Amino acid sequence: MPITPATPERHAIGLAMKRKEDPRFIQGRGRYLDDIVLPNMLFLALVHSPYPHARIVKIDKTDALAMPGVKAVITGEDLVAANLGWIPTFHGYDKQMVLAVGKAVFQYQEVAGVVATSREAAFDAAELVEVEYEPLEVIVDPFVAMKDATIIRDDRENKTNHIYHWEVGKRDETNAALAASDVHISGKMEFQRVHPAPLETCGIVADMNGGSGRLTLYLTSQAPHAHRTVVSLVTGIPEDKIHVISPDIGGGFGNKVPVYPGYVVATAASVILGSPVKWVENRTENLTTSGFARDYHMNVEIGATTAGKVTALKVTTVADHGAFDAAADPTKYPAGMFGIVTGSYDFPIAFTELDAYFTNKAPGGIAYRCSFRVTEASYAIERGMDMLAQRLGMDPAELRLKNFVKKEQFPYPSPLGFVYDSGDYHRTLEKALGKIGYGDLRREQAEKRKRGEYMGIGISTFTEVVGAGPSKLFDIMGIKMFDSAEIRIHPTGSGIVRTGTRHQGQGHETTWAQIVAEELGLDPQNILVEEGDTDTAPYGLGTYASRSTPVAGGAIALAARKIREKAKKIAAHVLEVSEDDIEWEDYKFKVSGVPGKSITMKEIAFAAYTNPAPDSEPGLEATFYYDPPNLTFPHGAYIAVVDVDAETGETKVRRFLAIDDCGVVINPMIVEGQIHGGLTEGFAIAFMQEIRFDASGNHLNTNFTEYLVPTSLETPAWETDNTVTPSPHHPLGAKGVGESPNVGSPAAFVNAVVDALSPLGITHIDMPLTRAKVWHAIQAAKA
Amino acid sequence: MNLAWKGQEQVSARKDVVWAFINDPDSISQCLPDLLEAKMIDAHSFDATVSVAVGPVRGKFKFKVALEPQSDQSHMNLKISGGGLGSVVDLLAGADVTDNGDATTTLDWSGTASMRGPVATIGGRVLDAQAERVIGSTFANVKARLAGAG
Repeated sequence: MPITPATPERHAIGLAMKRKEDPRFIQGRGRYLDDIVLPNMLFLALVHSPYPHARIVKIDKTDALAMPGVKAVITGEDLVAANLGWIPTFHGYDKQMVLAVGKAVFQYQEVAGVVATSREAAFDAAELVEVEYEPLEVIVDPFVAMKDATIIRDDRENKTNHIYHWEVGKRDETNAALAASDVHISGKMEFQRVHPAPLETCGIVADMNGGSGRLTLYLTSQAPHAHRTVVSLVTGIPEDKIHVISPDIGGGFGNKVPVYPGYVVATAASVILGSPVKWVENRTENLTTSGFARDYHMNVEIGATTAGKVTALKVTTVADHGAFDAAADPTKYPAGMFGIVTGSYDFPIAFTELDAYFTNKAPGGIAYRCSFRVTEASYAIERGMDMLAQRLGMDPAELRLKNFVKKEQFPYPSPLGFVYDSGDYHRTLEKALGKIGYGDLRREQAEKRKRGEYMGIGISTFTEVVGAGPSKLFDIMGIKMFDSAEIRIHPTGSGIVRTGTRHQGQGHETTWAQIVAEELGLDPQNILVEEGDTDTAPYGLGTYASRSTPVAGGAIALAARKIREKAKKIAAHVLEVSEDDIEWEDYKFKVSGVPGKSITMKEIAFAAYTNPAPDSEPGLEATFYYDPPNLTFPHGAYIAVVDVDAETGETKVRRFLAIDDCGVVINPMIVEGQIHGGLTEGFAIAFMQEIRFDASGNHLNTNFTEYLVPTSLETPAWETDNTVTPSPHHPLGAKGVGESPNVGSPAAFVNAVVDALSPLGITHIDMPLTRAKVWHAIQAAKA
Repeated sequence: MNLAWKGQEQVSARKDVVWAFINDPDSISQCLPDLLEAKMIDAHSFDATVSVAVGPVRGKFKFKVALEPQSDQSHMNLKISGGGLGSVVDLLAGADVTDNGDATTTLDWSGTASMRGPVATIGGRVLDAQAERVIGSTFANVKARLAGAG
């Protein structure tokens, strides 16, 4: 992405400033959860069920308790007695066991906790907890679960594995339009179960201080305030007695949004034992028990005219939620923002419905580097459009250009209920086609096909929906999804900004400083950003779903503007003119009509403490709680060029171009970094990653030898660029970007591989596109 | 993950000697490969601690072993269940015991296993070979210990 130089109009926004947080990370001086060591700290290890579904007959703690250093062994029954046996799930519609009570419902479920004086003693003693199980019938397939032959959640009133039905749009009209269409394609596709696998696993140090009566929770938390409130609601401890500190976080990607059993057991143990208790997941625990993503089985139907104009869209989904309905979705949106499934296209009518089921698999359904369920939706429509192009024999770029929502249609009300804020889809795709040399690539492909070589070009022109959100629509357990910022400017013109968000690598310490600097004409190097401490930060709902810049970013800009209003009064006082004569120009206050008479924000800051205006409070600070009027809708055009070796099934991503439009870019270098990271994760999902289970319910990807994370050797060289369509309602025109590449790229990769193999009649291959899977698809097509 | 194997051993001993041997928990326990400790429970069962090393799963597994002889002395079942390190293994081994009429005895054995937990994530071939080795060596050890016993 070209780096925009600072201009007189752009004092700080648009500047490719180096990340202020990087020196401490690069030098190994970040402070992560496991770096926290407190006096008399104990360690928690968890005992996990080897059975995916089994009644717990007996738990014998004797041998474990007899081991030197062991302080306590905690079971589900112990927690039930303390009224902590079950906790509410994310959206509050279900509850989940903290430790297995009565039976285990997924493999590796937490069954007991052992607290000891060292991590080693805790793990060794966990081996000695004897649990007697009585195995039960196992279901790991939602299509088997729907038959209700075995009920997984017999604790629930309704004895069924069906969790809920959700639908939006017009069913009958859509069916009629599909039936009346010249062309009607229908394609089944699975967005496989994947895991965010942050390099730092989840963890906690719970410290109940009997003297102060305060519970301090150092927590790998993407949403510290939300976690404080949940802890208070579940335990009854008043919120002022709970202090959540989220230290530096080594990647979250949605995995660090939920509340996990280890957090609750460590907290309970600290309260009981009066000592700090640390629990840090190992890799297997992270991959097998903490929030997974996707596991959507979708069927996409598109109607179109023979000329390639889309007439209707219908998407039917079966969702596998695992053993508890712990999907991370806002309360009123059980299937998240899946309604974005009409994508960038002007469908006159659409309908989508979804049924979710329990299975004997770990709970989750978190938003892995995407706004709630947007990646699934984007994959469905972008694959569907390619299936339609293949059926029509039409170029997929031409089909997209023919059906895009036009820029003059914004704000665009989609048939499934969103109002898209802004976009220029034609410009973005045309830029991508030109930049990658699309015409030449198609000619090269035609040449290669004559020689029997398989080269594919895959396009994905996605529209995202991020920035939850307007409080009238979005809440989590009733807490509205606004966000907040507090800015204090110090007497010498530096300052601090605190927000309710918590970065995990997104670069907030730099981006937020740039926003404050832009709004106030200060030096971004002297604006400190602090997040993650609930005692000091204003209340906010945290960082996920690309909401930080759309929501907290707006709060920062508006808090800064409040400061500027106050500064104007001080400027008038110091310059001894009427406030009406003061104007903000070139990052300072000037007296209109008097050239050379001006005052900088730095001078005003000093005056705010040394010479305050008589009619205003001393000091220079402001807080703003921003409730966005709408969501934001970033979009992009991605093109992948992939060579497939038909003999081995090996795929090689030769080129990948991402043109993103996330509105106004605050720091182009950080945006580019975000896109590189997200594309790499999208690449991993498309080609390498899947959480698999065998028929007996064994989890088959319990570590990084089985669940692959791409290294620099596999990762393609990314090409990036952008277009800018500002959001009309965001104070800075920004839209959010962290997730676009993960949302948009899987379909581009799959479209490219299918395009390469289309001469064989292949129309779809489910991810991950491993060599074996591609080879088998080729063999089946040739047979 | 479910696995199955079978094999045969020719034992240089009379059938009644073989039958008595495989009905004795103490004798059978000594035939388990990588046995660390055996504790006799009753006339037909014992607890065994064995050392396990399959891929990354390395440590001690504890098993309950039950001998289930068929009353006509033609077949013996060996049920081995237990595990360790978060894994569970259920092995069922059976052997047809046939008198060859020349003071030798044939053991036609077969085995099945189901595994859960980390051990089940280890590649099928590695696991298959290791579990087959456990059952196969048990019967091979029976043969070795009875060689020339009469």
